[in-house]
Amino acid sequence: MKLGQNISNQINNSEQLSPVLEKLKQEGNGYSVPDGYFDSLSSRIVDEIKKQENRSLLKSVVPFRKPMIWAPALVTVIVAVLLIFVVPGKKESTIPVVDEWTQINMAYDASYAEEAILAESNTIDKALENKDVSYIASASYNGENEPTIDEITEYLKEQEIDTDILNEY
Amino acid sequence: MPEYTDTELVELFRDADKKHYAFNLLVRKYQEKVYYFVRRLVIDHDDADDVVQNIFIKVWNNLGSFREDSKLFTWLYRIAVNESLSFLKSKQLRSYLSLSSPEALMIKSLHDDPYFDGQEIQKRLSEAIIRLPKKQQLVFNMRYYDDLSYDEMSEILGTSVGALKASYHFAVKKIEDFVTIN
Repeated sequence: MKLGQNISNQINNSEQLSPVLEKLKQEGNGYSVPDGYFDSLSSRIVDEIKKQENRSLLKSVVPFRKPMIWAPALVTVIVAVLLIFVVPGKKESTIPVVDEWTQINMAYDASYAEEAILAESNTIDKALENKDVSYIASASYNGENEPTIDEITEYLKEQEIDTDILNEY
Repeated sequence: MPEYTDTELVELFRDADKKHYAFNLLVRKYQEKVYYFVRRLVIDHDDADDVVQNIFIKVWNNLGSFREDSKLFTWLYRIAVNESLSFLKSKQLRSYLSLSSPEALMIKSLHDDPYFDGQEIQKRLSEAIIRLPKKQQLVFNMRYYDDLSYDEMSEILGTSVGALKASYHFAVKKIEDFVTIN
C-alpha cells in the first residue's frame, strides 16, 4: 500500500520537470524546415488532392484498367476471330475415284477391297445396260474367265440338264 | 488572414462554393502544429512532409462527414496519430531488410539531418524520445511540447487518464536519466 502510494505520488509529481527539461521546453525541439515550406504547403496539398480526384475519375470512366478484367475478354475475342476467319479446310472424301489408277491401287491394296468390288460391280451393271457383252466376256473374276451363255448351254447339254433352267434366272 | 473558429471553418467547408477557401484556411491554421507533431515522431523532414500531406488529404476527404461530437483539433490530432503510426509501421517493415534496428536508423537520421539546427542537448533529448516505446513517445510529446490536457489525450488515444499519467511519468524518468548520463 505504501509502495503504491509512493508511485502514485511520484506520478502526480511528474509534472515538475527537472531544470534541464524545463529549459529545453522553452527552447523548442531544434527541428527546422526549408525556406518557404509552410507558405507553399497548402497549395501542394490541394494539387495532390486534384491529382487523386483525376485518378479516381479515370478509374470510374475506364473500368477495365485491371488486366484481370479485360485480358480474358481479349483472349476470347482473338480466338473467336481465328475460328471465324481461319476456316479449317474440308476433309477430302476417302472414297476413291474410280479411274484407271485407282483401279490398279485397289487391286494391290487390301484396304480398298470393298471399294474395288463395288466399283467392279458398278462397271459391270453399266456394261449390262449397254449390252456390252464383250466386257462381260473379258471381265475377270478371281483370275478366271467368266463363261459365256453359249458355253454354259453347251455344258448343260453335255450334262443332259434341261437348258430351260437358264430361263428361270 | 481572417480568423475563424473551428465550427465556422467546418460550416464554410460544407458550402460547395467556399470549400477550397475553408480548407486553405484550415491548413494554414494547423499546419505548423501538425507538422512538428509528426516531425518529432518521424524525425526526417521529407517523411514528415509526406505524412502531413496524407493527413490533410484525409481531412479533405472526411471533413464533410465530421460529426462535431469532438473538437475539430482533437479529430485532426487523431488522424495525425494514426497516419504517423501507420508510416512508422511501414518504415519498420522496410527496415527489416537492413541490419540496423528501426531506432538506430532514426537516430542516424537525426544526426545526419540537414534540417536540425538546435543545440547538442536538444539532439540528445530527441534521441532519448526516439528510444521510448511508441505510446510513451506520443504521450510525452503531446504533454511536454503541445501542452495537451490528460482529458484531451485520453480522447485522442482512447486510453484512460490514469494510464496516460503513468506513461508520462515513466517517459520523463527515462529521458532525464538518458540526458543526464549522456
